[in-house]
Amino acid sequence: MAVTEAPPLEPEVAPDVRGPTAPLPVTILALGIASLVVIALGVLFSQVNYGFSDRVMTQYCIDQQISPEDNGAIGVCNIIEALRDPTTSGALYLGIGLGAAALILGASTYRRMDSKRKRDQAITGAVIGSQGILLAIAILWFRSVSPGLFARSFLNFADLHGYGGAFLRGIRNTLVLAFAGEMGGIVIGLVLGVLTLSERRAVRAPARIYINFFRGTPLIWQLVTGYFLLLFGFGLRMSAFTVAVIVFALNTGAYASEVFRAGIQSIERGQYEAARSLGMSYVQAMRYAIVPQAVRRVIPPLMNEFVILIKDTALVVALGLVESQYDIFTTAREGQAATFNATFFTVAAIAYLVVTLPLIRLVNAVEKRLRSGLVGIAGAGG
Amino acid sequence: MRVAVERSILPPGTSPGDPLVRLEGIHKWFGNLHVLKGVDLALQQRDVVVVIGPSGGGKSTLLRCVSLLEVPTLGHVWFEGNDITDVRTDLNEVRTHIGIVFQAYNLFPHMTAERNVTVALERVLKLSGDEAHERAMDQLARVGMGHKASAYPGQLSGGQQQRVAIARALAMKPRLMLFDEVTSALDPELVGEVLEVMIRLAGDGMTMMVVTHEMGFAREVGTRMLFLDEGRVAEQGEPREMFYRPQTDRLRQFFAKVL
Repeated sequence: MAVTEAPPLEPEVAPDVRGPTAPLPVTILALGIASLVVIALGVLFSQVNYGFSDRVMTQYCIDQQISPEDNGAIGVCNIIEALRDPTTSGALYLGIGLGAAALILGASTYRRMDSKRKRDQAITGAVIGSQGILLAIAILWFRSVSPGLFARSFLNFADLHGYGGAFLRGIRNTLVLAFAGEMGGIVIGLVLGVLTLSERRAVRAPARIYINFFRGTPLIWQLVTGYFLLLFGFGLRMSAFTVAVIVFALNTGAYASEVFRAGIQSIERGQYEAARSLGMSYVQAMRYAIVPQAVRRVIPPLMNEFVILIKDTALVVALGLVESQYDIFTTAREGQAATFNATFFTVAAIAYLVVTLPLIRLVNAVEKRLRSGLVGIAGAGG
Repeated sequence: MRVAVERSILPPGTSPGDPLVRLEGIHKWFGNLHVLKGVDLALQQRDVVVVIGPSGGGKSTLLRCVSLLEVPTLGHVWFEGNDITDVRTDLNEVRTHIGIVFQAYNLFPHMTAERNVTVALERVLKLSGDEAHERAMDQLARVGMGHKASAYPGQLSGGQQQRVAIARALAMKPRLMLFDEVTSALDPELVGEVLEVMIRLAGDGMTMMVVTHEMGFAREVGTRMLFLDEGRVAEQGEPREMFYRPQTDRLRQFFAKVL
């Protein structure tokens, strides 16, 4: 009688059932990864190599319309010379070859793979390989046109010396603008959100008109018109910065109100009825029962609104800020105006990313946590 | 000659014979759906009126009409001699006297059991924090939940949540308690603990209106039973009498299905 091996009674963790692998799928995966790695390393190596060398202007660079008199001309020349260096070329063509091999092998064999792990590896290899091919083609395309024309405007960092402090100030001002606007927007949005849920059309209608107006017109129009309206129309004495905060708050309020409305509507009707059945007024039911629950659900979308607002604050460039109030984008625009070098905008993008990337990560983490946290609470419904 | 006026526990304007609640010609439409088709009903003090009937028959709607969570399309609801369907009624005030317990418990998930009870005591009845705490702990103890006062609803079983919900309603010192299929969402082994609380409450003399599928409870605890079918009171009377001698075919068919 055959004795089968008894399975463990209570496995500690879920068993891995993806099955074994084999040389072919591992090879496909390795080819795909190698494709990306070879391209990235080859390009980076050449750039670093040229960057640290004492090269001079070449005829190629002059042909590419880089003037030797330009500040930073040699740096730009290095970038485009490195791009057509044999190391880069070799890496690009090798990368395309490896990627193509991974793509062809993976695409033609994944259906025949007899375990989940083999199939996953074949597919992943093909996908990464195709990414390598696309990346290499993009770089080849870029360097085959006139890379100097672009690089001298957007990748010439020589003019940025001494602008570090200005960009730090820009980051601070951008954050102040966005944060103040968001806070004002949350207050306006909460009030508007509650108004739009009224049973009475007379209450809903003005709120809807407000929301539709601010959602339906360009923010840059709101900023410029708001500036003239507040200063000349209403005769208020305030800085462009203050006007911007107010307009951002009014605009964000319109979007936040929709977030709050959806958040409030997502709370079960029974919560409202329970509160009213205890003698609470509508306002009390909202304040003690509904809004505290809705707030948890609207935190992630409101944080997303905040990230959007950080980028939208760039529109204050249309108003005349004083220098101490320059945001990131205005700092870049002023730098570019002074030097005719658009690399300031490249740095501005990096400055925005420095602010937004951690926030985006934070939103995702908060979202994940609130979602898991709400499972326990939602259990109250049975 | 001076007439000795006895201090009444009843509210002014009522005499002992007056019903606590009187429903008169209640109709309810939801859009084109005619859910209640003229229901009349009176509850005396200490009555335990049980409402049974097939689903969709309007039981919950009728119950919710009593505390005006649903506003009757036609008809009047009188509570302690006042027409509370009159638009001038302060419904928030009236509702502090009418407790209601829901099928889905509807505890506030962001508050502890104790806070669920105290929030309305403090915000609606304007009790001090200490008074509210004391009253909440009394009521939680009454339903056997004193030891879970600091637990959140998500940490409690369905039966425990429902008992907290009952304590929350009782803490307002209501003169009428409404129960809307309060055991229907519970696992069978948790039904008993909730019914036990309700039986004790009835024993304490609370006036109750109970929509339920628990026929045992209806027969043993109810002082009067209503069979609601297709929006009308098809039959009513003393519960045992109705169980043993149903008068209508509809009620006989209903019992055949549920018993």
